[in-house]
Amino acid sequence: MLPLTLTKASYRARTLIFFISSLSFSVNAQQATETDDLWNDDDWLEETPEVNSNAFRITGFGEILAGQRITESEFHSDTSAADIRLRLETKFDFNDVLFSVKSDSYYDHVLGDLRGDFRDLTASYSFNSFDLKAGRQILTWGTGDFLFLNDFFPKDWQSFFSGRDDEYLKAPSDSVKLSGYFSALNIDLVWVPEFDSDNYLTGDYYSFFNPQIGNIDAPKFLADAPNDDEIAVRIYKTLNSTELAAYFYDGFFKSPNAVDDDGELTFSRLRSVGFSARSPWQNGLVNIETSYLRSLDDSSGRNPLISNSQWRFLLGYERELFTRLTGSAQIYLERTLNYDNLIRFSAQPQFEPEENRTLTTVRLSWRNANEKLRFSLFTFYSPSDEDTYWRIQSSYRPNDRWLFTLGMNWFDGAAEDTFFGQLTDNKNAYLRLRLSF
Amino acid sequence: MQFISTVKKALALSTGIYLSSLALSPVYAQSDIDVRKIVKESELASYYAGDDGRSMARMVIVDANGNSQIRQFIILRKDIEDGKDQELMVFFSRPADVRDTVFRVVKHTQTDDDRWLYLPGLDLVKRISAGDKRTSFVGSHFFYEDVSGRNTELDDYELVEELESSYRIKGTPKDPATVEFDHYFVNIDKATKIPLEVDFYDSKDRLYRKVSAVKVEEIEGIPTVVHSRVEDVLNGGATEMQFRFVDYNLGLPNDIFSERSLRTPPRDWLRITN
Repeated sequence: MLPLTLTKASYRARTLIFFISSLSFSVNAQQATETDDLWNDDDWLEETPEVNSNAFRITGFGEILAGQRITESEFHSDTSAADIRLRLETKFDFNDVLFSVKSDSYYDHVLGDLRGDFRDLTASYSFNSFDLKAGRQILTWGTGDFLFLNDFFPKDWQSFFSGRDDEYLKAPSDSVKLSGYFSALNIDLVWVPEFDSDNYLTGDYYSFFNPQIGNIDAPKFLADAPNDDEIAVRIYKTLNSTELAAYFYDGFFKSPNAVDDDGELTFSRLRSVGFSARSPWQNGLVNIETSYLRSLDDSSGRNPLISNSQWRFLLGYERELFTRLTGSAQIYLERTLNYDNLIRFSAQPQFEPEENRTLTTVRLSWRNANEKLRFSLFTFYSPSDEDTYWRIQSSYRPNDRWLFTLGMNWFDGAAEDTFFGQLTDNKNAYLRLRLSF
Repeated sequence: MQFISTVKKALALSTGIYLSSLALSPVYAQSDIDVRKIVKESELASYYAGDDGRSMARMVIVDANGNSQIRQFIILRKDIEDGKDQELMVFFSRPADVRDTVFRVVKHTQTDDDRWLYLPGLDLVKRISAGDKRTSFVGSHFFYEDVSGRNTELDDYELVEELESSYRIKGTPKDPATVEFDHYFVNIDKATKIPLEVDFYDSKDRLYRKVSAVKVEEIEGIPTVVHSRVEDVLNGGATEMQFRFVDYNLGLPNDIFSERSLRTPPRDWLRITN
């Protein structure tokens, strides 16, 4: 993510009012649309630029997000999120190269910044059994639901916890992806020339546990990112109905996990291998995934300033419980290796993670008969850390243009130094209004 | 005369046709007509035309209040074996918020289908677990089962009447607890074997849902439904679906029905021009 600070906006209220009135105008126009127009014979191909290279069409959405803290925070105002966003997307074909652009411009009221970012700015070319995609792109793989064992592409945790759309959990990478498809195996090779970190938690939006002071804090910091590359590989194949995949990653831990010689927070080197399988089972889907993360700068676990190696394991199951109600559950284990060394050499062993961090998740998704109304509940609960995180969301899509979303992020925990427990003061509720065009 | 027949699957979806097929189980017919043969022919005509097919489809969904929505997509279909398994891919282009979403189905007649959805915003290939197939297909009045075909072994069938140009057949579910209908009547055209109308009745014997072929055209010698309609009779609202650029026997290669095409749609096979 390379947010570009353009200017401080001083007409926030006026902009907001203008935006809302534009949206209201649009909804009236929508209601006036005659059904007959939707059968217009002329625009069948125009609407499909992927099949008609002459068509140039811009789509996107405008969106307002307003989030409010439910609990008081001594570090922040009551506003947990306030975005006004414009998304513009287009694609075009030039000499068999497909260009794709997705830009986001938004005013983030919490930071007081007008920002611009590309989520997608790529050129794609296919030849024989290969697809090549280069540029800024979103990359995802693995079988977990909001749990990532082998996906070391950047995540935007700030957006995830603040009520932005789920798609913003994934931050873009500036990368080159080469995919090869063969009868024996398929392979994805991703090269990221310069390390892209997660958009990790900082004090800008959230308060969290700061081990240096042993208390909740909201420090604003920018960790020192290495100027080095990353490589990610996936080899996969579907056998009958079972999807099998093996993974490799060579790069860095994605969120700050180390302190360098100057006392700065930074990212230490990481190499990982893993495996996953997903298959239909008992009228549902079962998935299993594992990964071994080798902390290259501290493989013995003796350096207290760098994360230890880990072994991660995930088992998940999903099925439809009743008509239009789907349930899923996951069990996740994060085992810290060389744990004895971690504790022995740590200056603050009381704040170190459990040797076996366990996490369970449950998701319930419901939609009504015409799919206009949706409800989703996602809960994380960690038996080892005794903390929990609930994501509750309901959305209403009355027509093709409007989407209204109401949701809540609820954190709780027995201790202040656990992953979700530290976020207790950041509980928030939010409302999103989106107009697609 | 007694006919004991079982018909395999009415797996569905030729490039254009989305009407339930039928089959029969033990049936007491009024004449010497072989109901099983009719249904078998109807199934193949509706859902297995050619070896493969491509079509652009547009749905207009109108709710009870008259508000309309649109869905537009290209379907690629390839039969693995006539009357049996099929490969399907659906590439959405409208509306804006589902644009570039791709749906992939490997239809199995002996086990649950395999289904995947590609969500471009997250670059996520989401696998979808087996579910109730009598629920809305992308928010329309069509059910997933109207699109992919109802397994004909789930119903008993009976020839009700032979009309001048069609057969009227009654379908009754073997396990009523799994479906919302009590029974239905279907009219199958004698000449083309296309199901022209399906009327669904609830347990109070009310007609509540009507699926019809509005327009049938002969394309490349194959009778093809190019306009169909589902109506919610009790609550109001209907979805119309039209097909354009229908093409059969394109020689679609097997390997385009794959995860590759979810992330990178096979543009050569999706390039449709006038």
